[in-house]
Amino acid sequence: MAFFEQDIHDAPTTFLSKYVFSFDHKVIAKQFLWYGIAFLGIGGMMAILIRWTLAFPGEAFPILGPLLFPGNNGVVPPDTYAMLFTLHGTIMIFYAITPILIGAFGNYCIPLMIGARDMVFPTLNMLSFWLAVLSAILLLASLFTPLGGAAGGWTSYPTLSTLIGSAGVGQTLWCLALFVLGVSSTMGAVNYIATIITLRAPGMGYFDMPLTIWGLWLTAILNAIFLPVLGAGLLLLTFDRVFGTTFFLAGAAATSGSGDPVLFQHVFWIFGHPEVYILILPAWGIVSDLLSFFARKPAFGAKGTALAMTSITILSTLVYGHHMYSTQMSPLLTQSFMMLTMTISIPSAVFFANWLGTIWKGSIRFDTPMLFSLGVVFVFGLGGLTGLYLATVTTDLYLHDTYFVVGHFHYTMAASVLLGGFAGTYFWFPKMYGRMMNERLGKIHFWISMVGLNGIFMGMMVIGHAGMHRRIYNPFVYEFLKDLVPLNMFITISALTMGVGQLFFVYNFIHSMYKGPIATQNPWEVGTLEWTIPSPAPHYNFKDIPVVRCGPHEFGNPNLVGKDFQYQTEELVKA
Amino acid sequence: MAHVQTQTIAQAKEGDKIISSVAMIVTLVSFGMLFLTLMMAFALFRFTQAVWPPAGMSRPDLLLPTISTLLIAISSATYIYFEKNIYKGKAHKNSLALTTLLGIGFMVSQFLFWNHLKAQGIFASSGIFPSIIYAFTWIHAAHIVAGLGLLMWLYGTLKTPDSMTAVKVSNIGKFWHFLGIVWLIMFVTIFVL
Amino acid sequence: MNLLLNLFMKHFVTSADAASTVGFWESMKPPIDISTNGHLIDSLFMLTTWLILFFFFFVCLGIFGFSYLYSKKKHPKPLYTHGTSRKHISIVAGIGALVFIMVDMQITTISNRDFINVFLNYPKESEDIVRVQVLGQQWAWNFRYAGKDGIFNTEDDVVTLNDLRLPINKKVIFQITSKDVIHSLYFPNARLKVDAMPGRISRMWYELTKTGLYDIACAEMCGTYHYRMQAKLTVYDQTEYDAWLNEMQERAEFTTEKDKADLYWGWKWLADAETK
Repeated sequence: MAFFEQDIHDAPTTFLSKYVFSFDHKVIAKQFLWYGIAFLGIGGMMAILIRWTLAFPGEAFPILGPLLFPGNNGVVPPDTYAMLFTLHGTIMIFYAITPILIGAFGNYCIPLMIGARDMVFPTLNMLSFWLAVLSAILLLASLFTPLGGAAGGWTSYPTLSTLIGSAGVGQTLWCLALFVLGVSSTMGAVNYIATIITLRAPGMGYFDMPLTIWGLWLTAILNAIFLPVLGAGLLLLTFDRVFGTTFFLAGAAATSGSGDPVLFQHVFWIFGHPEVYILILPAWGIVSDLLSFFARKPAFGAKGTALAMTSITILSTLVYGHHMYSTQMSPLLTQSFMMLTMTISIPSAVFFANWLGTIWKGSIRFDTPMLFSLGVVFVFGLGGLTGLYLATVTTDLYLHDTYFVVGHFHYTMAASVLLGGFAGTYFWFPKMYGRMMNERLGKIHFWISMVGLNGIFMGMMVIGHAGMHRRIYNPFVYEFLKDLVPLNMFITISALTMGVGQLFFVYNFIHSMYKGPIATQNPWEVGTLEWTIPSPAPHYNFKDIPVVRCGPHEFGNPNLVGKDFQYQTEELVKA
Repeated sequence: MAHVQTQTIAQAKEGDKIISSVAMIVTLVSFGMLFLTLMMAFALFRFTQAVWPPAGMSRPDLLLPTISTLLIAISSATYIYFEKNIYKGKAHKNSLALTTLLGIGFMVSQFLFWNHLKAQGIFASSGIFPSIIYAFTWIHAAHIVAGLGLLMWLYGTLKTPDSMTAVKVSNIGKFWHFLGIVWLIMFVTIFVL
Repeated sequence: MNLLLNLFMKHFVTSADAASTVGFWESMKPPIDISTNGHLIDSLFMLTTWLILFFFFFVCLGIFGFSYLYSKKKHPKPLYTHGTSRKHISIVAGIGALVFIMVDMQITTISNRDFINVFLNYPKESEDIVRVQVLGQQWAWNFRYAGKDGIFNTEDDVVTLNDLRLPINKKVIFQITSKDVIHSLYFPNARLKVDAMPGRISRMWYELTKTGLYDIACAEMCGTYHYRMQAKLTVYDQTEYDAWLNEMQERAEFTTEKDKADLYWGWKWLADAETK
């Protein structure tokens, strides 16, 4: 419930206060969206370079290659290759998906969907964005240091990430960039949690919140709890690099001290496993809502979905050990982590049952956001189920650190989250910019993405099962991988297709911002609070704070006359 | 609904209080996790090593850390006194100033402690035990500096007290006591045990 | 686009020549299994695959079937239900329980059994086994055999670089560590890998069943030339192996320089109890 009503402040007038240093959650959301999309482009380009190297080792990268690597005849050199996959991982996770799913949708949807005028701490919100910018500057600056950027993988395991393995300033800057980003995300998380607890519109209980808000809320809680863990690890790593402490140093090459490199892996994955759920929870929330909105049917077992999300959130904190089977933890620990990991499949099964239950006997409208949501159900099915191989300790002995892992986590973290993000973008674009996106281009974008994604990640799982290990510059120096040349080319061509497909989205997005047909107040005929106000959302969101009287998914009520949905502000129609 | 529009200032004040408290608790959980991770790292080293402190190392002299502990404990006490008076409507500025001075005293004592270690030839790079001592006290000291900044800012705002003063006092107090507790845990586990 | 096509054709033609014996489907299979226990992992993989396909089939049936049956055109009047009736809740709970019992319990039980009884069941010190110490470094694998005296880190140790030779039908146990960064000793043909960590000694054992020449790789990112950290595994039958080891030992006794300290990177072989 709202504890108090926020003031309606005057709309800013200068360019700087309106678009740059804005306190308005909607503007900050758009800033995060653009920030994320820009990094998505950079990270995607890196992925193409990586894929090119793997499929055509020793061949010059067309057009861009000679410009980027003139000393090497346009071929990606091995040290640059290591830098590319490190930064691809870092950028995609922390600088593309986090800003889009959490920064943009979090900022945009939370106040609008719970009926608030803004976040509780607008200044903190602005600070959060500008710290993220500072972090991006630090990361990009690391590329121009003498020995180049970080090249130890996005997990940056010591001792490779200490001075023993990477001497350059790049790795230190990488640590600092991530630390600053962690502070920024924690600020955002504090803001989201406080906003959702205190600013819900009168009448809105926790189970009256749309599931999107549930996802974002749980994400914020995980962020607030586990980002500091990564922060501590990064601080200790930075101390090791800069001040000569010996937390992670061991072995003959360590000249002093007796630390433990495996400690970092523990710290990293205590954060790292929840991070996976940090990324996907908002996508789950968005998909759970959109399936109901476009099937014109109440969300099947919405309370169950919310509780399943909560239980996954709790379980995610207890299973991190399955990333470390190959470090030979004690057998007891290994077995408990395997068992705990397996239990995650119960709430996951509840998701699928509820999602399919939602579209069962619905009246499905196949608009672009719906297509993307169905796509998420498909790819997350594949991604989630293939996790079983990696949670199982014996199959993990073989599959650990192979492309199977790469394929699996891209299915969950890249494919599902990206498709969920696109679903959200197509869905809320009318409210953001007051114009509709082009449906035809959206559908082309969906099908190309779908074909591309599955080609890439399915292919990765196949070559992983055939034994190809991760992060190698040229797989074909190995006898047992020589047969995989055609498959690797297939993956690369899928990746190029996928890349080309995104141009449809970029064109659609920019074109629709200025030239798209004007959106009505409620183009999708949905009853949540953001659709009760004009498009684009006005400066103060709600002139009068709405009062919530029914749930967010009221569709197809047979007692309704004239329309098939009702707004959350309306009393539930009864016979 | 009518009652929403005719919200009183008292209600608004109450709302501000609750929001800040929720946010402060979340923030403290975040900071707590940071220090918890450090303590976990310490525990791991402490219990996997056969001898502690590791061979060739001895425990640091307890005098300066004990003085630090006393200083920060007294500063928390003076702050509690100050906070109680604020709720009674009296701004007892001197006790806040005393808290700040004791906090500065804590920092001085920490600097002396680091210099003392260096004079003995113990540096951050001398092994895992000094690494832990230096790194953990550095991270804690950085938070103390931030806390001191907040205390000084609070002192400045006392000139023009408003409805939010009590909220500020209570939240900054939570942060300051939190840092005291963290130091106490670090003192007992790393220095004494 | 043309460029891409040319390149693709060029590669496809050359690779088709080189791998003419291997079909497209054949190339997807994992490398040939040469150990006694690799089939445990392969069979569990296959079992998991079938279970997954079973459940994914129903997910697909739901997505595509419902999309076909309940599109706006075909099914204009949606059913009004919140899925909160007792029947609905028990169906959802049932599906959750079914997944847990049918998939998780099965896999976990089998995996636990194999892990404890086989992969962690290291051969006893008293058995007739081959002992090898492995030291990973950027970017090579060093292997050390104890030599005639059976004691590691002495002058008659056989030390090889990127060249591991083992006898067939005999249990082999490795003790593995690393000099600088974390590596991972990866035998694709035995389906096993274990991290080589500086400051720790990890263990692995297997028994080989096929002679021949195979690849050893490093599976953990270890720097720029990670991909070049390649070693060869030669599997001999017992007589060939003995002949090779004898020759290497004699050579070692002549060539090992006694005062060169960095040749003695080995360690005292750790008994079972000490490795934990």
